[in-house]
Amino acid sequence: MTNPKQTTDLLSRRRFLQTAGVAAGATVGALALPRAADAAAAPMPKKWDVTTDVLVVGTGFAGLAAAIEARDAKADVIVIDKMPVPGGNSAINGGDFGAAGTQMQKALGIEDSPELMLKDMMKAGAYLNHPELARTVAEQSAAALEWSQTYVGAQFDRVNFHGGHSVKRAHQTVQRSGAGLVTKQLEKARALGAKIELRTKLVRLVADKDGRIVGAEVRRGYKFPDEASGTPAFIKARKAVVLASGGFSNDVKLRQMYDPRLTDQFTSTNQPGATGEAIMAACMAGAMDLQMDWIQLGPWTSPDEKGFGYVPQFVERVVGYGLMVDPATGKRFFKESGNRKERADAIILLGHPALILADSTNTTKMVDPGQLKGALDNGSLRKFDTIEELAKAYNMPVDVFVEQVKRWNTYVEQKKDPELDCLIFKDAVPNVTPPFYAARLWPRVHHTMGGLAINKDAQVIGFDLKPIVGLYAAGEATGGVHGAVRLGSCAMADCVVFGRIAGKNAAKQAAWG
Amino acid sequence: MLVNAIGRAVPALLALLLGAALSLPASAAPARNAKAAPGDCAACHKAEKVLPAGHPATKGMKLDACAQCHAPKSEQALGGKLPGMHLHQLRGIGCAQCHGDLKKPTEVAHDKCMSCHDTAKLVEKTANVKPKNPHTSPHYGKDADCNLCHHQHAKSENYCNQCHKFEFKVP
Ligand SMILES: Cc1cc2nc3c(=O)[nH]c(=O)nc-3n(C[C@H](O)[C@H](O)[C@H](O)COP(=O)(O)OP(=O)(O)OC[C@H]3O[C@@H](n4cnc5c(N)ncnc54)[C@H](O)[C@@H]3O)c2cc1C
Ligand code: HEC
Ligand code: HEC
Ligand code: HEC
Ligand code: HEC
Ligand code: HEC
Ligand code: HEC
Repeated sequence: MTNPKQTTDLLSRRRFLQTAGVAAGATVGALALPRAADAAAAPMPKKWDVTTDVLVVGTGFAGLAAAIEARDAKADVIVIDKMPVPGGNSAINGGDFGAAGTQMQKALGIEDSPELMLKDMMKAGAYLNHPELARTVAEQSAAALEWSQTYVGAQFDRVNFHGGHSVKRAHQTVQRSGAGLVTKQLEKARALGAKIELRTKLVRLVADKDGRIVGAEVRRGYKFPDEASGTPAFIKARKAVVLASGGFSNDVKLRQMYDPRLTDQFTSTNQPGATGEAIMAACMAGAMDLQMDWIQLGPWTSPDEKGFGYVPQFVERVVGYGLMVDPATGKRFFKESGNRKERADAIILLGHPALILADSTNTTKMVDPGQLKGALDNGSLRKFDTIEELAKAYNMPVDVFVEQVKRWNTYVEQKKDPELDCLIFKDAVPNVTPPFYAARLWPRVHHTMGGLAINKDAQVIGFDLKPIVGLYAAGEATGGVHGAVRLGSCAMADCVVFGRIAGKNAAKQAAWG
Repeated sequence: MLVNAIGRAVPALLALLLGAALSLPASAAPARNAKAAPGDCAACHKAEKVLPAGHPATKGMKLDACAQCHAPKSEQALGGKLPGMHLHQLRGIGCAQCHGDLKKPTEVAHDKCMSCHDTAKLVEKTANVKPKNPHTSPHYGKDADCNLCHHQHAKSENYCNQCHKFEFKVP
């Protein structure tokens, strides 16, 4: 190498590794660079098929928030998604939006603040969160919720609790689904003139010789998961590309690179297209990835139904009211209000599904009737007239279990759990009123905390630790906001907050051509 | 894209159909013969047995004649037992009505389906289908692409069942 310093500045670590051999062998040094870069990002095409200001990849919360903001800033916007349906994981999400210090909380007398939310996020994240990113989400969460309500038109009507939070701060859509927000975002983006193209897959990013991202190579008419389907096309992004391609929970190969335990033995709650090739495409164009091995399992899924299912909406609502036991012993084994990682690890350690239960008073007060019915109808939730019957149905030692329930009920009365320090809510009542509801629990791969490195302006960071010009990212495709563990409801806040930032900044980027 | 549409439906026919989607093939594979009468199975399927032994001759029949024995909504209904193209053809809707130009048929877009079908009416028609109405969902509203479930040249599928357990019979 004639000038190694310059070489590493220009090349990403990956490009460097890929091409170092060739360059060293031929001793052509810097002269070989443009070609070397070509190997990783797509070459500049002779002709662009389409031109826009901002190209957004992904039609979830993050991508559509970016599209709306970029349109509001008068940029031309194209949004692509490889799937035949829009919305990604956002369209099947539970609709819980974590936000601190909102009007809805105030009306319910819930005292909260961005500082407290940040504290909860950092604690759950094992302090691996990039503080500046987590703080941005916490501080802008209330404004993001308000924007979703008043500008986008989504409706939220209750404030839920999620494990690991200090207070109730999960604002839920009336639909009890993320679709309640993302379908409104889609309408808004379309009304503002953003072009939405489904079945268009990002294959590679296109960089110019300086590494600035200038567009993308895509396949149009793509039919997931057939990699040969569709026809190649080049989209020119005059200002910037925003990557909002979601996580990779359903990418068995990729997730096993980071956590080899997560074989295909573990199913996922995610949509089938939750795969990581867009993140990898960014890495190949020089972006840095981080914390990719923090992959979250949801502790509240049932082995008795598919995918996400109904049971999580029962579990998360009765935590702090009902109790969770190991059916082998009939005893509690872990703090019900613990965070996802703690609970999932504890259940996996049991080696068999856990059991959660609550009585009729607590259940009907807390659980949405539609969700309750769905779970009962598909058999993943069962009801029993007596505690003894319930014990027998799951082959538990009856006496031990009955004693355990009694003990729990005294804790509920005292609002304090001396055994495992579970958070118990003020309005919780002892579980004595039949029917008693119970569900089995076995974790599924749910969220990938890691992803592309970004700064607080949503610029993607390269291996030289500097922003890559023309590339922004937001949502589950990024890493750092949540650290080791994402708290329930914090993804919606993350996606909307950073999606908006990415969209605004992408629109502000000076055009290159 | 021809590759996939056909590749998924009948992989073995790939090379054959690529070259001659509309002409009669030399082998026993079904031809997409635009001129064949829909009840005349052999015109396209040749010697391939596509009906159970002893089935009455169907040549010249249209869907209402089939319906004498295959009553709609019954266990015998033909929906789901034949690729959608047949169900349309038996109703007198030919290749051209979906594809327009038959020299180079391309994929048929959702909007084309909507030129004959009406979303609002459809949603109403299947409002009582158990366990859920397949034509509306919280995720995708009423506008999900028909081809997610109804295939014209392959067996239809239940898209929702990637995540749910809805026992639909998809025509
Ligand atoms: C069942 C379920 C319930 C959840 N519930 C909650 C909840 O209640 N509260 C909460 O805060 N979080 C929840 N989450 C997490 C949250 O929904 C997700 O983290 C969030 O939706 C991610 O949004 P996103 O915009 O980053 O990505 P997504 O919404 O997943 O969108 C990414 C899109 O990019 C597309 N894409 C990917 N690769 C490419 C490519 N190469 N080319 C083109 N397009 C591509 C995908 O097809 C997808 O449509 C839940 C998740 C699941 C799975
Ligand atoms: C006179 C009664 C009769 C008529 C008319 C008739 N069928 Fe059938 N068909 C049957 C019977 C009986 C069976 C075997 C029972 C079954 O599987 O439903 C059958 C079976 C079939 C099957 C196989 C079903 C399966 O489950 O795989 C197909 C396909 C079929 N018929 C198509 C047609 C078509 C298309 C027409 C009209 C062009 C038609 N039939 C007209 C009586 C009839
Ligand atoms: C009800 C509408 C309909 C009818 C009738 C129909 N088709 Fe199709 N056809 C489609 C759709 C939809 C596709 C795309 C299939 C897919 O990708 O899953 C398609 C795909 C094809 C393709 C592959 C094209 C491509 O690029 O994917 C060919 C060839 C074709 N049809 C030929 C025919 C012929 C020949 C007939 C008559 C014998 C016919 N079709 C009748 C709807 C129809
Ligand atoms: C030229 C008009 C026309 C076009 C184009 C058309 N259809 Fe149809 N289709 C009909 C008619 C007429 C019927 C019978 C009446 C009904 O059920 O609506 C029918 C019936 C159906 C049925 C019910 C089949 C059964 O027997 O149960 C399905 C499913 C269907 N169409 C799907 C599609 C899809 C998907 C497309 C686009 C690829 C499409 N149609 C395009 C006219 C059309
Ligand atoms: C999620 C899968 C799915 C999608 C997407 C879908 N359908 Fe259906 N469709 C079904 C099922 C399941 C039935 C049968 C319902 C029943 O049991 O009666 C059906 C029935 C029909 C029927 C017959 C209705 C009747 O009762 O006569 C027509 C026509 C039809 N679909 C057209 C369409 C059209 C047009 C589209 C696109 C706008 C579409 N479908 C999208 C699953 C789907
Ligand atoms: C116009 C030509 C044509 C006619 C007429 C026709 N078929 Fe087909 N059929 C096809 C083609 C082509 C396929 C493969 C799917 C595709 O490409 O549409 C097929 C597929 C099928 C299949 C699905 C199984 C498979 O082999 O993939 C069945 C079952 C079937 N046909 C039954 C019938 C019956 C029964 C009749 C007579 C009532 C009939 N077909 C008439 C062309 C025809
Ligand atoms: C990629 C996975 C996925 C697919 C595909 C999917 N769903 Fe869902 N569905 C979910 C999840 C997860 C929930 C719970 C969260 C929510 O409500 O969004 C849900 C909830 C629902 C609900 C509300 C709860 C209930 O049962 O009343 C309905 C209705 C529903 N889905 C219908 C459908 C229909 C119809 C389809 C097919 C057109 C479909 N879904 C496809 C994942 C999926």
